[in-house]
Amino acid sequence: MSTIIPVGMSQLKTGKSPTQLAVYGIGSCIILSIYDAARRIGGLAHIMLPDSTGMDTSNINTIKFADTAVPALIEAVLDEGALRVGLEAKIFGGSEMFPPTEDFSNTIGRENTVAVKAALKKHNIPLKCEDTGGTHGRSIEFDLSNGVVKVYIVGESMREL
Amino acid sequence: MDNVLNITREQLDALREIGNIGSGNAASALAQFLNRKIDMSVPNASIMDLNDIPNLVGGPDKAILGIFLKIMGEISGRFLLLIPEATSIKILKTLIPGCETSTLVKMGEMESSCMREIGNILAGAFLNALSVITQTPMLNSLPSINFDYAGAMIDNVVADMTAVSDKVLMMETSFIEEQEDMRIHIFILPAPDSLKLLLQKIGVAE
Repeated sequence: MSTIIPVGMSQLKTGKSPTQLAVYGIGSCIILSIYDAARRIGGLAHIMLPDSTGMDTSNINTIKFADTAVPALIEAVLDEGALRVGLEAKIFGGSEMFPPTEDFSNTIGRENTVAVKAALKKHNIPLKCEDTGGTHGRSIEFDLSNGVVKVYIVGESMREL
Repeated sequence: MDNVLNITREQLDALREIGNIGSGNAASALAQFLNRKIDMSVPNASIMDLNDIPNLVGGPDKAILGIFLKIMGEISGRFLLLIPEATSIKILKTLIPGCETSTLVKMGEMESSCMREIGNILAGAFLNALSVITQTPMLNSLPSINFDYAGAMIDNVVADMTAVSDKVLMMETSFIEEQEDMRIHIFILPAPDSLKLLLQKIGVAE
């Protein structure tokens, strides 16, 4: 049996096969997975907001923001023993859980998606696939033995990405 | 008062007290609407870690009905109702004659509009009481609704309030019907930039 390690909001976890990392109940957040298939090493970051620009960087949780979380996760999987050249990313989440009304615009999910993609590009990590957007939540389980991510959606059957 | 961590015990007590009055008003509005006796738990006002909030309603991957409203006015914030599926179905059966709904997955327009109205009534009653206490008009926006993972709805609602701190100030209460468990969770999140005014209006600013 492999252990399943949950990753909370603004947290980052890394591991090796046969560990599984999971996030339950993802809304506008983005879950970024980075994986080295050859070494079966990877990690997840649970990102909440797009941009830390203008914040006091000595005093923030770097995992919370897309621009700082992406390099932090790359660094963390390298520390775990992955090789930079083999790294691939997947992203999940970025939903709009409550449709916008006259008085409420809900764009944080979309902003998060755009920001994580831009940061991946900046750090030269290829985006292998994504399951983002929509008005529904997701739960995911990331299996470090084969890199497969199981995506669960309320009222739908599970998909593997 | 930009950082919720600076809030004092006395201030939390005062917030709990206004939460109590707001919830009482909301409970009696709901009781009238459903023609049932509704009891409420002792409201809580606390500074909570983001990752602990979903545990109040059964965990982040619990599918639950969420109704979201914005609180508008000089004192602004967010109002989130989380209603377990079983409670929602009991409410729908009370309100819609011959209702045979057994799940909220892919809810019909009638069901969804009924539950939005519940959101309107609860938020309206709660904010009315708060407006009187603070002598500051507070209105609610139109409700938005979803049936989905609790964690997913909570993260969307709190995300942009958490730039500075991983903790949020939250007032929380739940309702229970006398005979059967009919739990409804109400979360009120004052906007960080109106917290100072709210505390002033209830007489506990530093």
